[in-house]
Amino acid sequence: MRIAILLIALIGIAGAIEVQREHQIALLLRADPDSIPANPSLMKFALGRGASGYRSHCAACHGDDGHGDAARGIPNLADGDWLYGSGEVSDIERVVDYGIRSANPKAWNLAIMPAYAKIHPSRTEPKIAPLKPGEIRDVIEFLLYLQKQHADPAAVARGAAVFSDTGGCYDCHGADAQGDGAIGAPNLTDRITLYGDGSAAALFDSIAHGRQGICPAWVGKISPAGVREIALYVYTLSQRPGAARPPSSAASSHTETSAARGARG
Amino acid sequence: MHDDSRSLPDHPASVRAPWRDIRQVSVARSIGLMGMGAVLGLGLAGYALFTARGTSTLAVPAEDVALVNQQPISRSDYLLQLQALYAVDLQHSTREEREKVLNDMIREELFVQRGKELDVASNDSEVRSAMVNAVELEIAADALTTQPTEAQLKAFYTAHQGNYASEGIMTVHDYVFPKSAAEQAADAVHGLKSGTPTADLLAHWGAKDSPSVGDEEFYFAAKLHLGDRLFDVARGLTDGASSMPIEMPDGIHVLYMVKNKPPVPYDFAAARDQVLNDYRNKAIAHLSAGDEAFLRKRANVLIAKDLQ
Repeated sequence: MRIAILLIALIGIAGAIEVQREHQIALLLRADPDSIPANPSLMKFALGRGASGYRSHCAACHGDDGHGDAARGIPNLADGDWLYGSGEVSDIERVVDYGIRSANPKAWNLAIMPAYAKIHPSRTEPKIAPLKPGEIRDVIEFLLYLQKQHADPAAVARGAAVFSDTGGCYDCHGADAQGDGAIGAPNLTDRITLYGDGSAAALFDSIAHGRQGICPAWVGKISPAGVREIALYVYTLSQRPGAARPPSSAASSHTETSAARGARG
Repeated sequence: MHDDSRSLPDHPASVRAPWRDIRQVSVARSIGLMGMGAVLGLGLAGYALFTARGTSTLAVPAEDVALVNQQPISRSDYLLQLQALYAVDLQHSTREEREKVLNDMIREELFVQRGKELDVASNDSEVRSAMVNAVELEIAADALTTQPTEAQLKAFYTAHQGNYASEGIMTVHDYVFPKSAAEQAADAVHGLKSGTPTADLLAHWGAKDSPSVGDEEFYFAAKLHLGDRLFDVARGLTDGASSMPIEMPDGIHVLYMVKNKPPVPYDFAAARDQVLNDYRNKAIAHLSAGDEAFLRKRANVLIAKDLQ
């Protein structure tokens, strides 16, 4: 009889734990995602599970520490610099849910870096024309100038013209080349690069061959609570002490840590 | 039946209710345990029944904002719509904005459900096209969630190594002579050994420097400007070399190569990004073909005799 009572007690405790877990999940899902970081109990509940979800679904590319890999164009999630959105939990959650160029209709898929060394640089924008090698080098000089690096003034002038005219670069990156988080167009003035080390050769490669990295969509494959937990975990990666903050202007880019270079989250 | 009283021991420690002694048969205990089992079973069945996917329920699940005929409107879609329509998050939205978005989404869901009832896909080509596209995207999305290993990518690179090279760059001049100036063209070939000719020399030969080339350009552009035949000759020229006279319908051409930088094969590290894209595209095509084959296999397709 004691065994039966013990069994019932265990089932009762397990039931109570499950009810409490379901309650916490409901609270987590019903909360405004951007307000959750201010709620310690929900954060405590979500982070352990989020870390586990991150390791299962994201770490294969972004690495266990979230630092990515600039050689493979895998963004650093821990540097506080965000290509899509502004790094709020809701922005991250959207990426985890729908991905980037993931073939999901709700994915971020507006911006594709054209391959200017191809006869048809962009499949979606037929008006974009190829550039000559010299024009690409001029644009790079212009970008180096924007990043306060040494550049040839004559080439900078020619590059600026290509940037804001024939190349059509301004269309995504903005007339000030500071990018647009609404479409995932990177800031070109801050020396933080997603691909490579930011050298002229790496920039040439990106402009000549284009870029269109992919992040898969996990909606339907991970539960809504699981997605939110991962988003919260990734959010905390960028909030840790030592995570480089995005520069507010081109001038401040010189103060960035080397850890932030070569990657973009 | 077993007589409980006969098995009772004499010492006081053993004096307890028969249902508590596991060594004795007890009707009360049997009924009690059966009852508890039944209650537990009912509890588990009820839990499973009311929480299983697709179960009709009166409560809106936490991950959704509404159920329309039991069809959920997800909270993430709702937040996305709120952001798209008013550029605000939930925290900063007004009650009116939230209501408007929710009502719009409920309306959309109702009309989608009505569309299914009316089977609009059977006669609306746009709906059919959208559905085909959506299924194709779904297949692609499935393929994209699988991350290939480095070994798989390297094997793919090895099998398609010819596809991965830098774009060649050349700076070439194309001197065009009249058809009657074959001798001048032959002279020019020798003259070009000392470098690009001056305008005076070109005038002396009666040749024109074709304006379509002359600048540094990628191979594809040079091919476009020169045409296939001249490009094939040009790509074989080394720096400072000139071609033999080439007869073309518009005159005699002599090519002079200032600088030729042929494509350089990429190693795996340099090509990895392109390899990954190509690998994924192939995986999508493979999965798509597999899905289509499966759909055809399970479908009952009857074809008219005259088209068989």
